[in-house]
Amino acid sequence: MYMKKSLTLTDILITIVIAFIFSVIYKLWGPLYSLVGVFGLHVDQLIYGMWFMAATVAFLIIRKPGIALLAELAAAQGEFLFGGQWGISLLLYGLVQGVGCELVFAMYRYKSYRLYVTCLAAVGATIGSLLLDVFYGYIDSLAAWNLTLLIVNRLIGAILITGVFAYYLVEALDKTGVTKAFRPISQDDYQMLEDEVN
Amino acid sequence: MSISISYQPTWLHRINPSFKLLALTALFIGMLFIHNPNFLLYMIIGASALYLFGTGHSWKVIGLLAIPLTIIFLSSSTTMIFFGEGEHTWFKFGLIHITEESFYRGIHLGLRSIVFGLLSLLFALTTRPVYLFYSTMQQLKLKPKYAYSFMAAIRMLPIIVEEFQTLRQAFKVRGVQYSKGIKGMYEKIKLYAIPLLAQSIRRAHRIAVAMEAKQFSKNNKRTFYYHLGYTNKDLLFFLFLLVWLIISYVCSNQFVVFPVEYVR
Amino acid sequence: MLEVKNLRAKFPISTSLLFKDLSLSINKGEKVLLVGPSGSGKSTLLQIMAGLIPDVIEMPIKAEKLNVSDSYGMVFQDPDAQFCMPYLDEEIAFVLENKKTPQQDMTDLIVHYLDKVGLQLDDQHISIQHLSGGMKQRLAIASVLALEPEVLFLDEPTAMLDQNGTKQVWDTLKKVSEDKTVVIVEHKIDHVLPLVDRVIILDETGAIVADGKPNDIFSRFRSKLYQYGIWYPNIWNDYARQLPDYSHYDNSHQPIITMDSFYGYYQKQKKMHVDDAVIHRGDWLAITGENGSGKSTLMLAMMKLIKTSGEISYFLSDDINTCDYRKMGYVFQNPELQFITNSVHAELEHSLKNSDVPPKRFKDRIEAHLKTYNLYHVKDHHPYQLSVGQKKRLSVATATIADVDILLLDEPTFGQDAKNTFQMLELFEECRKNGITIVMVTHQPEIVELYATKEWRIKDGELMEILDLSRLEENILKDDMYVY
Ligand SMILES: Nc1ncnc2c1ncn2[C@@H]1O[C@H](COP(=O)(O)OP(=O)(O)OP(=O)(O)O)[C@@H](O)[C@H]1O
Ligand SMILES: Nc1ncnc2c1ncn2[C@@H]1O[C@H](COP(=O)(O)OP(=O)(O)OP(=O)(O)O)[C@@H](O)[C@H]1O
Ligand SMILES: [Mg+2]
Ligand SMILES: [Mg+2]
Repeated sequence: MYMKKSLTLTDILITIVIAFIFSVIYKLWGPLYSLVGVFGLHVDQLIYGMWFMAATVAFLIIRKPGIALLAELAAAQGEFLFGGQWGISLLLYGLVQGVGCELVFAMYRYKSYRLYVTCLAAVGATIGSLLLDVFYGYIDSLAAWNLTLLIVNRLIGAILITGVFAYYLVEALDKTGVTKAFRPISQDDYQMLEDEVN
Repeated sequence: MSISISYQPTWLHRINPSFKLLALTALFIGMLFIHNPNFLLYMIIGASALYLFGTGHSWKVIGLLAIPLTIIFLSSSTTMIFFGEGEHTWFKFGLIHITEESFYRGIHLGLRSIVFGLLSLLFALTTRPVYLFYSTMQQLKLKPKYAYSFMAAIRMLPIIVEEFQTLRQAFKVRGVQYSKGIKGMYEKIKLYAIPLLAQSIRRAHRIAVAMEAKQFSKNNKRTFYYHLGYTNKDLLFFLFLLVWLIISYVCSNQFVVFPVEYVR
Repeated sequence: MLEVKNLRAKFPISTSLLFKDLSLSINKGEKVLLVGPSGSGKSTLLQIMAGLIPDVIEMPIKAEKLNVSDSYGMVFQDPDAQFCMPYLDEEIAFVLENKKTPQQDMTDLIVHYLDKVGLQLDDQHISIQHLSGGMKQRLAIASVLALEPEVLFLDEPTAMLDQNGTKQVWDTLKKVSEDKTVVIVEHKIDHVLPLVDRVIILDETGAIVADGKPNDIFSRFRSKLYQYGIWYPNIWNDYARQLPDYSHYDNSHQPIITMDSFYGYYQKQKKMHVDDAVIHRGDWLAITGENGSGKSTLMLAMMKLIKTSGEISYFLSDDINTCDYRKMGYVFQNPELQFITNSVHAELEHSLKNSDVPPKRFKDRIEAHLKTYNLYHVKDHHPYQLSVGQKKRLSVATATIADVDILLLDEPTFGQDAKNTFQMLELFEECRKNGITIVMVTHQPEIVELYATKEWRIKDGELMEILDLSRLEENILKDDMYVY
């Protein structure tokens, strides 16, 4: 059993399509998110994890290096092309969040697709987004309790949505059988060709 | 989506898309180091002028897309205004603590979001995705397999929207009922997401196979149907940005609106 | 020359081999038709001969000799899944780019290839999304011709098209393929036969059972073809001969749906109009018309799933006079989008939950239904893992299991082999005998002739003609048969 090193056209196209579906959801999600955000108590942060979901879902489906980063960038690019209100900032957020996920999957050498790894990836993406928020949103100048609330809410939301929800979503998708076409082929399958047929 | 709306092409449409993208990204990064709200205020004036008169789209489109910007302004500024740290208290009630520093910092954040919102809309409304990806292949050396995947995925979007509508109809006919609250929301998302993802993945797979069957990966070098070079419009755009920044800077020093220069 | 010798292949999830030591060779310039029941491996074999498997699609295969084509073009079944660019000219340009054609030659070549397939347009820069099904298929052929291939592989290139479109596409293909090797997979073979000089038949285990000249094959293996459920010329005659006759047709002349100045809308535009029409209880109504004429739109409007205006009245059982989905079954053109659970069994159970059937009768009824629709052996499968024919059968089953009064079916038999088609038609007839009214969109004139009691012909969004085909009352309505 061997894994092709670089991503094939099929891998890339499927990842981008998944990302675009999420970017359409983001686009619908955006106004809702802003509306909740007006109140300032970070309720909005609970659904922030939705923005990282493309990365974990795509990775769990294709299971190759680079997919999480590509998915996050493509989702941002998609939303940007459809006139997403957050604009260029999305591309940079996509980059740091994607890198956050990617690093976690890389730590497990892209071999583990367990629930807790997915949740860790969600944490990775959260850390990435927080780093950029320091520059972009001056979040370090918030009152300490408020900053804590923001971080905790975003983490909880991310773990639940990017981690748990994405994991079970892909599990449900696996049941439909469509993901089988991209998973590596086992040695047994090749062996069967050799066996005598009667 | 700029593919389906009709518009009059303007000089902004003829700017090299990669150049436009890089210029705006550079602006974004540069703006992270601007901490003077007056500067941003004057930038908005220039950006609005370009947005209102430069895209060649109808007033209806321009107006509709601008509405979310006000919400963005509020949502980006309120948290900082109410809960930011500062010395000079203006108002205090329970958890809410408005200080002079946090107020202007909040305004600054709101203004910044608006500048970005305007520039991004400007980009989205004046750039055909196909040209953007041809240009990134030619100027930024993006690998064709990425660029064409993006274009193929864009082509699939209307099909996905159609499928979404059919799904809605089918669920109606089959009498699908949702639970209330969070659980209902989860059920609903799953009910829509699984078929949409499954169909799209399968279709993406088939399209990729069809592209390979047309010898997509056989050759490393390829020719291009569209050539996107640089024109004097790019120079014009560059000069516009430069003049815009200089004027905004000068104005922010001459005509001070917000009595702060550094909000960080 | 294409050659495979002792080919073995297997899908990762299945437990048996798809091909067991299959050997086949095709000479240069031959025109071959490959037929076989649904799921016999025809598409897979084409992709192996093209070299797509295992280069692009990973799949375990093994062969003593595998001489695949390196200059080929393939037209795929689903027109929406083979284009990668948004505009027509860009799609052909994509192929030219792959071939490193200089940019200055491209515009002329695009016109040249479009001419070849009879797509003469004033402006080549039009959106692919706005093309009709027939135009899309011809564009698919044009972009394949731009490869200048020696071998053409055609995988059911007309599956989605009406009679006219099908004929046009095959006429086009006949013109452009004279000097090429051609391998065709097709269910609807009537238009294909003038093109081919060799026919190969696969059985359901993926083994070659016959190989030879078309005339020879279709006369010698006729009964075998019928048994496998493979379409062959005049199969409808053989089928009709063994059908019981229809003297039991009883039309009570009770209306079930009536329409008056009825319109259906898409995005505020009138897309469909019915002036004055009645559907009677016990009717088998066939709705026919060209691609894009508005058949699906009419069905959606009758189900109140799109915006409508004008008058429509329902006379359902239990004195229900509204559009009540518990009394009206609907099968969409794409059945996959109407499944909502994880197994065949659960799909049927879901339908029952929304009906008046008491829960204690669920078990028996589901079991009986699974058997009637030949789905018992796959009752625990995920609906997406069924074959095309099984999916359609399941969608029909979900609509019939509750006590409905009327069934609306949008092209339930398209892309099916003969066996599945006949089986399904008989199921519908069974439903009709039990008092269920059938409304069905179809492109197949034989179905209309054999089963329908009424035919509505749709053209450009208008109900143009109402034909009474009931066999008992031989045209008593002759005078007011034609509304227009
Ligand atoms: N990706 C896949 N994974 C697993 N099994 C598959 C896959 N694609 C096809 N099969 C199975 O392989 C068999 C052959 O499929 P193939 O598509 O080649 O049949 P076909 O003869 O072209 O049928 P049809 O006339 O319905 O198009 C079928 O039983 C099908 O269920
Ligand atoms: N969702 C939609 N939005 C707008 N227009 C549509 C939509 N769906 C269909 N149409 C248009 O309505 C007209 C009728 O389409 P419809 O799908 O009813 O045709 P049809 O007779 O069912 O064709 P086919 O045989 O290909 O299924 C076409 O011109 C089509 O372009
Ligand atoms: Mg097939
Ligand atoms: Mg239709």
